Order: sequence, then C-alpha cells, then structure tokens
Amino acid sequence: MDTPTLLTHLQTHDTALTLPRGGTLRWDDADLHRAAHAAGPEHYALLALAPGALPWQRARVLLQTLAASQAGLDDPTRGTLARLARVLTLALPPAHVITVLLALRRLRANHKHTTRTVLRFVLEHPDADALIAARRPALLDCFEHALGKTAARGCARRIDDGDTGSDYLRRRLLRFLAAPAAAPARVQALYAPAPAAGAAPGAAPALPDRPALALDTAREHPATVTATNRGDIAATLVHLYRGGPAADLHAALGRQLDAAARAFPRFAGTVALVLDASASMRGYGEREWAVLSQAAALRMLLSQVCDRLEVVEVGGDERAPRGATDLAAGVLDALGTGPDLVAVVSDGYENRFPGDLARVTATLPRAGVTTPVVFCHALFSAADDLALRRPDPSLPQRGFWHQDDFTALLPWMFAHCDAGSPWLDTALHARLDVLDRRAADLTTAIAA
Amino acid sequence: MTEMTALDTLLPGPLSLAGHRLGTPQQAGALTMVPVSGPARPGFVPPRTGLKLSRVTGYGRLELRNGAPAGVAIVPLHIGYVQDAAQNHALCRSALLGPGQKLLFEDACCVQQTQGGYLTGRDQWFFVLPGELRARALQLRGVHGYAKLWDDIADLNHRCGLPRRGHLEQILSRKRPVLTQFQSRLEPQPGQVGALFLVAGRFAGLELCPDPRYFAEMWPALACFAYGVAAWRTEPGPVPAAPYDAGTLAELRAALDRDRTDRLTGIAARIATAALDEPADVQEEERYLDLRLSTVTSPHLAGQIVTDGGRAVYASLFAR
Repeated sequence: MDTPTLLTHLQTHDTALTLPRGGTLRWDDADLHRAAHAAGPEHYALLALAPGALPWQRARVLLQTLAASQAGLDDPTRGTLARLARVLTLALPPAHVITVLLALRRLRANHKHTTRTVLRFVLEHPDADALIAARRPALLDCFEHALGKTAARGCARRIDDGDTGSDYLRRRLLRFLAAPAAAPARVQALYAPAPAAGAAPGAAPALPDRPALALDTAREHPATVTATNRGDIAATLVHLYRGGPAADLHAALGRQLDAAARAFPRFAGTVALVLDASASMRGYGEREWAVLSQAAALRMLLSQVCDRLEVVEVGGDERAPRGATDLAAGVLDALGTGPDLVAVVSDGYENRFPGDLARVTATLPRAGVTTPVVFCHALFSAADDLALRRPDPSLPQRGFWHQDDFTALLPWMFAHCDAGSPWLDTALHARLDVLDRRAADLTTAIAA
Repeated sequence: MTEMTALDTLLPGPLSLAGHRLGTPQQAGALTMVPVSGPARPGFVPPRTGLKLSRVTGYGRLELRNGAPAGVAIVPLHIGYVQDAAQNHALCRSALLGPGQKLLFEDACCVQQTQGGYLTGRDQWFFVLPGELRARALQLRGVHGYAKLWDDIADLNHRCGLPRRGHLEQILSRKRPVLTQFQSRLEPQPGQVGALFLVAGRFAGLELCPDPRYFAEMWPALACFAYGVAAWRTEPGPVPAAPYDAGTLAELRAALDRDRTDRLTGIAARIATAALDEPADVQEEERYLDLRLSTVTSPHLAGQIVTDGGRAVYASLFAR
C-alpha cells in the first residue's frame, strides 16, 4: 500500500477496536495494517505520529507493532519501535491502550518488546494508580499475560514478602522497567483482594480518559472565522493586501515564516505549485483576501522548505488576482518544469473550462507522465460547501483554511512523491524524538 | 472568439455596439459567460453605490433616488430589492435619473405574495429578476397592480420543484447558497463592461454597462439571479473524464488546444445562430439630454437599451 493511501486511512477510518466478552477481536482493517507493517515496520509505525491520525488508528498501529515479531530487524529499528510504542501508550486515551493490551493477550502475543511495553504501561503510566483502581481486573490480566501467570504471581508473592530487588524480581520484572521503584506498590495494588461479595457497593473510580502525553498540537478554533483569524502569516498578508504599513508587516511576515518553516525538515526535491490567482480567490466583502492570503502563505512556506519551488500562477498574480481559472494549462506548464510533485492550490472554481483539468490528468498516464499531481483545496473555513468545487474528483485532495492545517498538509503532499518518503521519515523521526523526550520527562517525574 | 470577436457583427442593426468585443468564454455548469470589453462611458452612476431605494409608498409603488452629486443613474432593467420583514419588490422597466433626482415607479411588482411591510432605505441588496420572468415583466411595464407577477413566480417556483406560490424569495433566499456561487464560479475580466450569457448552450442574454465599475456592481445580481437561476435548474451532473488521445506531454497540450478551439467555435456558432440580428422593434421610452432609453422587441429577443447618439451605453437584452 502506498504511503498517501495509508496516511489517509489513518486519518479517516474511525472505527473502534472491540473485544467482545468471550469473542474474537474485532479489527475491521487488520489485513491492511498487517500488509503495511510487512512492507516496512518502521515507516508504518512512524505514520501513527502523522498529524491528524485518529486515536483508534494509532491504537491499531500500536497493536500491530506489538503483536508482530521483531526477528530480523536491526537494533536501531527495534529502538525506534520501542520508543514509538512507549509514546503511543502515553499519548492514547488509556481505555484505547487497555483494549490493545487485552487484544495482545487474546492474540497470545508475548514477545519481549510486548512484555516491556505492557509492563511499562501498567506500572509506570503517570496515572497508573488511578488506572489500576478503575480497571484492576483488566490490567491484572495484561500484567499476567506479559510475564506469564506463574512468574507474575511469583513476583507478586515476593513483593508481598518485602522483596524489592532480588535476582528473581530483577530478571522477571524490574529489568523491563525504567522507574522500578514505583513498581512494587502497584503490583500489590493489582493483587489486592477484590471487595467481598455483598459488600456495600461504592462508586467505581473513573478511568482517566485524557492521555498523559499530548500528541497533536492543540489548534485554534475561532468561533467566527474572519479574514484575519486564520493564522499569523495569512493575517499579516491580508493587512498587506489591504494596504497596511508595509515595513512593519514585511518584518513580521519574515519572522512568522521563519517560525513556521522551522517545524519542517528540508524537502530535497522540486515542487511545482499551480497557484490559482483568479478573481474568485480574492473573494469579496468581509472575506476579501482571506482565501488567497492562505494560499500565498502556503506558497511562501513551501519556498522556505523546498529545495526548489516552481510557481505557475493562473489568472493574475498574488497581489492582483484576476480573470479566469485555467487549471489544466497550469498543470501542463507545471509539469514542464520537471518537478517531483505538482500541487494545485485553488478554490476549485474551474471555468476555463470545467472538466479540462480532469481530462488532462486522466491522460497523463498514457502520455508517459508519472509525476504525482495533488489538489490542495483553498477554503475559507472547514465548513465550506465543496459540492461544486471539485474540478477533478480523481485527484488526491485535501483542504486547508488555517495555518495550523499546514502541519498535516505538507506531510500529505510530500508523501505522494518518491522524494517525500525520506522527508516524511525525517519529519516523523524528529517528531518521535520530541515526544520521546517528553515521555522520558514523565517517567523521570514518576521516579522522583 | 479566442482572438476577440467584434460584437456589432452579431447583434441587431439599430443597436450600435461598435468598439465592443467578445473575450474568451468561461463556463460554470450550464452557464457560459462571454466577457464583453469596450469603451468606458464617463458620467454614469453605478447602481449599488449611487442608486438608492428611498421608500415604498404602497404595494407596487417604489421610489428610487440617484444619491450621487454628479452623473446619470441608469436604473438596471428588472432590478429588485430584498429586505427582511418587508415586501420584496422588483421593477418592470429601466429609467434614467439625473443627479439628486427621485423617481416613483408606480408599476413595480411585489414578488413576495404574503409578506407584509414596506421596504425602507436601510440594508438593501438587489437582484435582477430571473430570466424566466423577464419577458413577462417587460410586457407588464406601465401596468399598475402589485400582484401582476405572482402567477408567473408561482409557475417558476413549481418548475424549480418549490411550492407553487408567488414568493420569489423561495428561490432568491432559500437557494442563495448555491446561486451566489455563480459569482465566483465565473470570474469577470479586468475592464469588462458586459457579458453575453448562454444557458445549456443556448443564448440567454446580453448585458452591457456604461463602464467596468457599473458592470462589477451588477455582476452578482446578473450571474447569480438573472442567469444563475436557469443555470442552476439545468446544472449538469458529473461527467467521467475521458482521456485525450495523446502519447506525450506535447501531444496532450496540442489535444487540449484543439479541443478548446472546437468548443470556442461551437460557442461562437451558437451565438451566431441565435437570430440576434433579426429585425427588431425599437420603441423609445425616455430621454435625458442626449440619452435615449428604448425597449427592443424582436421575435427572439427583448429588453431595454440606453443609447447616446446612436451608440449603446447600456443594454439588457434577453432571449424570449
């Protein structure tokens, strides 16, 4: 399966994993995940960190990664997968993780990397005490599955007897942990007697539902979208287009672009951008400049991130949008620059002539052109009606209206071309490094 | 048409459009718009910023004012005004208003059968009657009776799949989100002073304005309502994209160019066969200095024009 398809699946297929009591695991897209894992376990697993991947899809990646053997993988890859599993167990809602761990038990997956991840979740999660209080039987099952029932109970017995560091305990349990000091008390909690039958029912402690680690950056959600609350760069551009003080605004624009570009690694390839600068992109009334400013912000960001950016403007130009929208000729001009990727950035109102873009892209394979073409839908807000704004439904397409959307848009765009694969891995490795450091801080806090 | 076609070769003899030319057509669904460029005529007030609805003195009686200190206001043909909680009104004819002048249209029509209340001068947005109603409205100019268009509106609503009522706002307001997209789906060119419209490949109308600003202010009302309603009713469904027969990028570009040339030729042919140059009856209705406002009627065309020394300054002509 190609990366863009998998990425889109991770970001859109939102169904839960379920474990019916006494039944088999319900995992509707298991074949897809197994195939993607087999094609490259590290690349597959890293995609779970892509911005916008859904929690239940991330849970599936965790499940697949922990269920599969790591035989034949080199140490760096095993290290990456271990860190990723650690991050996901902290960044997913605890209930999702518990489902995954119970599924591993049901699947009888008992690799060493599985054991380590299970034990660290059960005994080292920042909310471990609350989790055990709320889901003790389930977590006890996970614990005994990880160690084996005999070893688990042997450890529990020794801990109950005051053992905190015997050879047995170290070899069976403590060697899997990063903060072993906290483990004995939690093992005792796992094996604490259940309330006697007939005892007065108390309110069951609630399961913490918030992940310990934030994976996706919280984004701005303005109650009312305006031309200037769609991110810093676009806001500054709108003021420039409206004739604001150029010196101040250009200085701010430079700072804002630098800050935005720092979030992305360098793309070692060429992107040809077909930029719709027709009259409709300017808009009118209170929305004037809103759509074009965000498209221009994307163009500016790509110019900082890409080794080479070729821009083909359609209609007028960024500062003077005008005239009709001829996307088909724009794509042909863009392909003439020899890019790794063609990205069409448009509001989708193709009028010279409607259908031409679709016919041109449908012809590309037989014309021997393999360069991927993607459609980046320039929107005013997430609520835009696109029914009449899809000039080529066959093209991969994704909308954007806020600067925050670039976080997911760029990986999606670059994933479509060969040059994007190393870029994506670099970007996701960098993301893993950051998250892993934050996960380590959480563990340190527990140990302290 | 790619190289711009002189417009005076296509239209009725009495209407001199010398100097006006057609540009490259654009399409959005069933609506084709051929831009018209030409000389800007100074001394005219644009309709949105210059022309104001001052009051409604009774149902079917609507007063407009040219609020500009200088310049003549040509009241656009079949303009109408919409306001919340008031009877929406439309005019059956055009008119000429000097600077500061007011004019009471006693032959206006209500387009909202059961809504009470009078329009006031605040919060105005205007439309142009949908093409399906224009021939009838023009026929009813000079006829007093605020309810005179209700049956035609009801029929149009029925054809649009809406309740058969004399409420034009069923289309204008309830279908506004889809209709107003025509304002963006088609994009006026810089300097454009008019447009020729085709709906589903057939000539639907010609609109000509004194200058680009006047046209820009008319654009939403024309694209979305005068012609957009018919285009919305005949919006084509998605068509599978058929690849061109091309084995290289160069061949693909050539195939696209050929296809476009064929389509432009087809559009030009459809305009040429629209019988726009057949003999027309031209009846003068009003004068203002050298300006003449006339009603044009031919077997397949109707509307009103404003000329200055025989040259067209304003035209709103539609297929009938």
